[in-house]
Amino acid sequence: MDANDNAPEQPVPGPPQPAGPQPAAPQPGGSEQTGRQRLKAGLWPPRLSRAQLVVALLLFVLGLGLAIQVRSTSESSALRGARQEDLVRILDELDGRTKRLEDEKQKLEDQRKELENSSDQAEEARKQTVEKERQLGILAGTVAAQGPGITLKVTDPKGQVESDMLLDTIQELRAAGAEAIQINGVRVVAGSYFSDENGGVAIDGRKISQPYEFRVIGKPQDLEPALNIPGGVIQTLEKEQATATVTRSAKIVVDALRPAKQPDYARSSSP
Amino acid sequence: MIAVLGLVAGVVAGLLVRPEVPAVVEPYLPIAVVAALDAVFGGLRAMLDGIFVDKVFVVSFLSNVVVAALIVFLGDKLGVGAQLSTGVVVVLGIRIFSNAAAIRRHVFRA
Repeated sequence: MDANDNAPEQPVPGPPQPAGPQPAAPQPGGSEQTGRQRLKAGLWPPRLSRAQLVVALLLFVLGLGLAIQVRSTSESSALRGARQEDLVRILDELDGRTKRLEDEKQKLEDQRKELENSSDQAEEARKQTVEKERQLGILAGTVAAQGPGITLKVTDPKGQVESDMLLDTIQELRAAGAEAIQINGVRVVAGSYFSDENGGVAIDGRKISQPYEFRVIGKPQDLEPALNIPGGVIQTLEKEQATATVTRSAKIVVDALRPAKQPDYARSSSP
Repeated sequence: MIAVLGLVAGVVAGLLVRPEVPAVVEPYLPIAVVAALDAVFGGLRAMLDGIFVDKVFVVSFLSNVVVAALIVFLGDKLGVGAQLSTGVVVVLGIRIFSNAAAIRRHVFRA
């Protein structure tokens, strides 16, 4: 790196210009000219000498490099001029960061899956609850029901049919697998009771009048023979001079409802 | 005068043309530029001293650039590239300052 030893033929005046005080007198090279004059002479007028051209060429290269370097430093990313070990470190950091973020993503995805599962389970439980509620509602008579079954019509012109015979009929039907029963718009459930009112029959305290129309949901092939067996319900009714007609139907609608009643004392013991 | 014009033309060309620097040369460009700056200041001082010889300037310019790049290359191979290039920049900076001081004395007589 010998930049300023530009006087090979002449004795170089010592080491690179010390910073100490030195008279700004005319230098040994140009005895009659000062540096300032030489500078002025070099700058103006422009002379097309070999030295000027060579220096211009080198300075052109320098300016080019300077501009490129300044540009690439100022406008490209910080990574461009970074050294190898810095790049390796940055890469390591990025790898670690990626790994951490991926772990986090995995965790969050697991969490999401878990939550989805649990919400699925909750939904399933809710569905089962609704289903159960409907089944129980049919049993308790709080919801309407429909399905195949039979219609039994009892006409009793002489008023011989009493509540016990209707109760027998209900029990026969239940034994044959009846699932929902209503008589003349009164739903018959487990707690229903029959009583004789003056000249008529009451179910759960509601008087019903003739003809008694039973709407029964169940398997028709079971229900009808159960009523028709010898010594069964129909024969008994006919003995009292009442007429009973059974009609099978693919769709019976039991739409009489009973209010849901909260038990006062009994509580569920299942958890 | 023509030399100054050459410098200006180089800067303008570098800014306008945006030449793509090959990746191999890229790490050595900054240090080469600093070395070239040192050579230029040395040349200016020699001119003011009246001892300027263009051949010497060319040789010193090129050798400065080559040696600076070589040092950085060697440093990179040895694993001390960062420190070594810092050292080169410091040395060149000191030389630029001392040359600038000499130039100042010529120009301002102070």
